[in-house]
Amino acid sequence: MFLEYLTNNAPRLLLLAEQHAELVLISVAISAVLGIGLAFLTESMPRLRQTLLSVTGTLLTIPSFALFALMIPLLGLGVAPTVAALAIYGIFPVLRNTVTGIEGVDPAVIDAARGLGMGRGQRLRTVVLPLAWPVILNGIRTATIMLVATAAIGAVVRGPGLGELIFRGLARIGGANALNEALAGVIGVVLVALVLDLLFILIAKITTVRGLNV
Amino acid sequence: MERVTVPGTRRSTAWVVPAIVLLLVVGITVYVGSVPLDSSETRSLAPEVIFTSLWQHVQLVVVSTVLTIAIGVPLGVLLTRSRTKGAGAVVLAAANAGQAIPSIGVLVLLAMIFGVGFWMAVIALVAYALLPVLRNTMVGIRQVDRALIDAGRGMGMSAREVLFTIELPLAVPVMLAGIRVALILNVGVATLAAFTNAGGLGSIISSGIALNRMPVLIVGSVLTICLALTVDWLAGIAERRLRPRGI
Amino acid sequence: MSENPGSSPDTMIYLEGVSKRYPDQGKDAVAGLSMEIKRGEFVVLVGPSGCGKTTTLRMINRLVEPTEGRIWIDGKDVTHVDVDQLRRGIGYVIQQIGLLPHLTIAENVALVPKLLGVAKNKRRERAEELLDLVGLEPATYGNRYPRQLSGGQQQRVGVARALAADPPVMLMDEPFGAVDPIAREKLQLEFLRLQERIRKTIVLVTHDIDEALRLGDRIAIFGPGSRLAQFDTPLQILSNPADDFVRDFVGAGASVRRLTLLKVGDVIGTSTMEASSVLTTVEVDPGESVHRALEKVLAAGAEGVNVQLAGGASRIIDIQGLLTAAAQRTPVPS
Repeated sequence: MFLEYLTNNAPRLLLLAEQHAELVLISVAISAVLGIGLAFLTESMPRLRQTLLSVTGTLLTIPSFALFALMIPLLGLGVAPTVAALAIYGIFPVLRNTVTGIEGVDPAVIDAARGLGMGRGQRLRTVVLPLAWPVILNGIRTATIMLVATAAIGAVVRGPGLGELIFRGLARIGGANALNEALAGVIGVVLVALVLDLLFILIAKITTVRGLNV
Repeated sequence: MERVTVPGTRRSTAWVVPAIVLLLVVGITVYVGSVPLDSSETRSLAPEVIFTSLWQHVQLVVVSTVLTIAIGVPLGVLLTRSRTKGAGAVVLAAANAGQAIPSIGVLVLLAMIFGVGFWMAVIALVAYALLPVLRNTMVGIRQVDRALIDAGRGMGMSAREVLFTIELPLAVPVMLAGIRVALILNVGVATLAAFTNAGGLGSIISSGIALNRMPVLIVGSVLTICLALTVDWLAGIAERRLRPRGI
Repeated sequence: MSENPGSSPDTMIYLEGVSKRYPDQGKDAVAGLSMEIKRGEFVVLVGPSGCGKTTTLRMINRLVEPTEGRIWIDGKDVTHVDVDQLRRGIGYVIQQIGLLPHLTIAENVALVPKLLGVAKNKRRERAEELLDLVGLEPATYGNRYPRQLSGGQQQRVGVARALAADPPVMLMDEPFGAVDPIAREKLQLEFLRLQERIRKTIVLVTHDIDEALRLGDRIAIFGPGSRLAQFDTPLQILSNPADDFVRDFVGAGASVRRLTLLKVGDVIGTSTMEASSVLTTVEVDPGESVHRALEKVLAAGAEGVNVQLAGGASRIIDIQGLLTAAAQRTPVPS
């Protein structure tokens, strides 16, 4: 019965899955830019950095439903509030991991770079970023997996993706395909999470500087 | 949502969160009082409605957290015993994978298969919050210095005495961090329980969306945020207080 | 029934043919070991890593259960008795110290008495008594937490804790290993003084031959494969090493190190030197070690020693005579 439903609706399901993945990736990209940017900008301001970490960390305690809803007066319904809320959630894992990654770079190496005459920008690009990258990437990965599940709630603000299936199933409870729809939505989300996770493993392999993997 | 490590909470900033919550609650009250509300808004924001939803929400969170601890801690302890070594890793891996399942999905599927209402929502909440409690109990016990257990057994403590005198007390900080995460998860998922007729503040938010009334939506969301912040703040205090001295 | 050393009144610990075999390893960790430790003796088990000394120690309180053989403690076969009860009667001190960080120092010391059901005020009294014994002021340290103490202080608490239930036997596994070298030597000396007062039967494991020579009444030197190479007094081991392995293990300078264990009074019996033929001397006590006497002679640039005997008498020996007498295999007291 469920298989029948799947085969009948395959194109639509795949489209929604694709939308879901796109939604997450776009939101994570924004989170990453903000998270990494803030981490590097506050390099010399540890107190501000700590405050930012506390604030973004506390943002995670906000129930996603509430945050999505609050975006409506500002951004209406649809893609915009969904992306905004997801991007806000995604900042903390990226920020935290970037800070950890930067702080984890061996100070001796930085000292050597300074001794060689590298300016701050050069140091960041040539030394800190490549060495901190695995940890940063892991933070982005964590954010992504977190957002895949959260994005399902985006359906309450008419956001794209697989959440729609779950809510439609709920709305039609007792109806013919209700359970199938909801189940398809849930399984779809898990699969998207899996695929994106594998994607990140691949990206990690490709982008990590060779010397760190040896 | 990950916050497995024990955050370094400074006493000087402990007042920030309650201050913000207070500000928000006052702000909301003033807002509701000053903005002209039509009849449906007045109905949705009637004090009894708000307090009932709040109470339902709190009940959901408290009951499910208590159950999560009651199941998660003993299970976690059991899975760290030497005879169940393999099972522990399997359960942990399964639970980790389970985190990819959206909370709304669990709620909805359970409701559709078994029915709506308070207790079904509690089951969904417990299932979802079990991972942090289970994982942190296992991690907490495993990170206890082996030398201490050796000293304990060498002294003549039975395995049970070692568990209660050494392993559990020393695992408490990590376990508390896990319980705190579970609490926050529960507040969040309980917000969605409105969709399966379990009540809670989420019902105010969804009526706001359904009726397209911003005031209702805003009040519902802000109150939910206030509840979440308060619970997190209280959990943080409990974490600090309940941590054994000397660690 | 033949005389079993295990049940002799002199023997406190008797390991009878004990073996330990681990299922995933080819060779036995300990193979058919028999060893007798007398009441009130301080025995040190020493050897290179992997020789089975720690496994042997941990078989005495059955933290490692022997695959073969029997263990006798205080005349009783304890191989199969209730293991928790057995351990409450044996003091156990480990290298990592293992103080419970969430309990105060006093509570840590009182742990075994608590397990035995001793009343709270009696426990407190006993803890204070023991802290005093190990040189830690109870009023100052009793209510502190382990992390507030230095490594050396923590290990003193570890020793106090092991003594709390007044066990006749103490097992110590590299107890001074985690302490810095200066504190270590101090702890060793103090522990020796403590042992003179309390006279427990002690089995201590170390990989440091010097520590063994310093502390033990008898030393058991283990070779690879848990072979017991020699089990004898420090003096005998230095004077008459059983084989090349022992000689190598003791290391270079055994002959000179012997001198620290020989007292001047024990070796001067054979000297025949005349007083007038010696020009410069330093005064030494018959109770001082030959090593110390030599140190004094070298420092003063003298040619001999003037031994101050009981009753005002004295004896003069030149340095060559002293060393020749000391080099004899078996020392003869005067």
